[in-house]
Amino acid sequence: MPVRQLDARFVARWIGIWDGLIVDAEPLLTQLDAAIGDADHGTNMTRAMRACQAALAAASEDTTAAAFSDLGHALAQSIGGASGPLYGAIFLALGDSVPAGTGIEAGDLVVGLREALASLQDLGAAVVGDKTMVDAIAPAVAEIEQQVSAGAPFEAAVEAAAEAAEAGAASTIPLRARKGRASYLGARSEGHQDPGATSSALLFEALKRAAVQ
Amino acid sequence: MIQSVNRAVRILFELQGARRLPLSELAARLNLPSSTVHGLVRTLAADGMIDQDATGRYMLGPRVLGLGNAYLDSNEFRLRSLSSAEALSERTGHAVRVAVLLGTDVVVVHHVLRPDGSRQMREIGIAIPAHASALGKVLLAFHPAASALLPQDVPLAKLTGRTLASRAALDSILEQIREEGLAYEIDEVVLGESEVAAAIFDAQGVAVGAMGVVLPTPEDARDGKAVLGSVVNAVRESAIGFSRSMGATSWPMDPATGQPPRRGRPTTARTPGQAMDGSGL
Repeated sequence: MPVRQLDARFVARWIGIWDGLIVDAEPLLTQLDAAIGDADHGTNMTRAMRACQAALAAASEDTTAAAFSDLGHALAQSIGGASGPLYGAIFLALGDSVPAGTGIEAGDLVVGLREALASLQDLGAAVVGDKTMVDAIAPAVAEIEQQVSAGAPFEAAVEAAAEAAEAGAASTIPLRARKGRASYLGARSEGHQDPGATSSALLFEALKRAAVQ
Repeated sequence: MIQSVNRAVRILFELQGARRLPLSELAARLNLPSSTVHGLVRTLAADGMIDQDATGRYMLGPRVLGLGNAYLDSNEFRLRSLSSAEALSERTGHAVRVAVLLGTDVVVVHHVLRPDGSRQMREIGIAIPAHASALGKVLLAFHPAASALLPQDVPLAKLTGRTLASRAALDSILEQIREEGLAYEIDEVVLGESEVAAAIFDAQGVAVGAMGVVLPTPEDARDGKAVLGSVVNAVRESAIGFSRSMGATSWPMDPATGQPPRRGRPTTARTPGQAMDGSGL
């Protein structure tokens, strides 16, 4: 079986699908954030998707790493609230850690995602269970890492990662927020799904769909 | 301690968290038999402290709001802050928070929402670890025994990756704040959010509370506080006016002596202890 190459076009497809999922989920993200935040996660994320598309359209270099870095800069600069710097950190770390070249392999993506998670946790000081994006992303990264290192096909690995991310997002419902604006609410944050974990789960759902297309 | 009073208070706190709970769940959380809890909730409900929804679940009652409002209205510092906070928000176009120190936290006692009509969380009553927030740092700086307030043996909590969590770093920042009268917070409590806060002094020179402007972290602020400059003068001038209305004769005041800090140390352009007539602003 030929080794699958993940090139800049793959990244564009991944982000294009994420964009569609975010736009569809905007009312849900707004509703979730209204319960435990400023009700701006839906609009912030749709604005972020426009910035991502613009960054990809204006890309000067045709490498996977450059595409990730362009997305990172666009996200860090365009979204208000905490999501901008956090999603920015994810893509900037991906851009910094995957090899330069027109395509990368699944194993490179796994290494990049591991770095992205570390960067995210560095910036937010959040661990699993704090009711944040980390609750969706950490299990997804662990799953794709485990599957790829066990030799599973890329499609199967990202499918398992997407499932883990969705389960992780759902796992935030009973939790008390310990990081971010929602933590202001203390016990009143319990019983609501974290909006950031929800948009993060969509990032992995988009990766799954991009891989099978 | 009166056991039943303690239990009644715990019921109120449980309902503050979960908001609506059936009797069985409430009993489980208190680790008490349902019959015992039933007697307590009936008593609380008779006085309007708790209420039942259509499905029989218990929630906080309308009398609680009255008590909360009575508390807010009895706080003279808060009452005096209302007009200053409103004016500061109008002048800067940002949200304004007024807070007092409670243990190692600051508690927000007044919050003027960002005047752009957007939907925002109401933050009155929230508690934020003092060491992380501008409101808290300024109150620690002007507290006569701040180092005794913060535990020496427990690390300071990191609310974000940018929270100042080392005692040595915090102590040096508090020293700067005592000279300048102002504290800054950049992404240290919530990512994407920054604050500039000033201490409010009373006639005895005590820092009774703090007032701050909350703004989105500017893109280039992640390297330092300079970019928050646009609101710094507004915060300082508001704090001086507000302190004057509290009877303060100078701003800022030295927490150790209750007097304006002695000059002579080389400082920035912002001179501590300036006259309350506004000269030198």
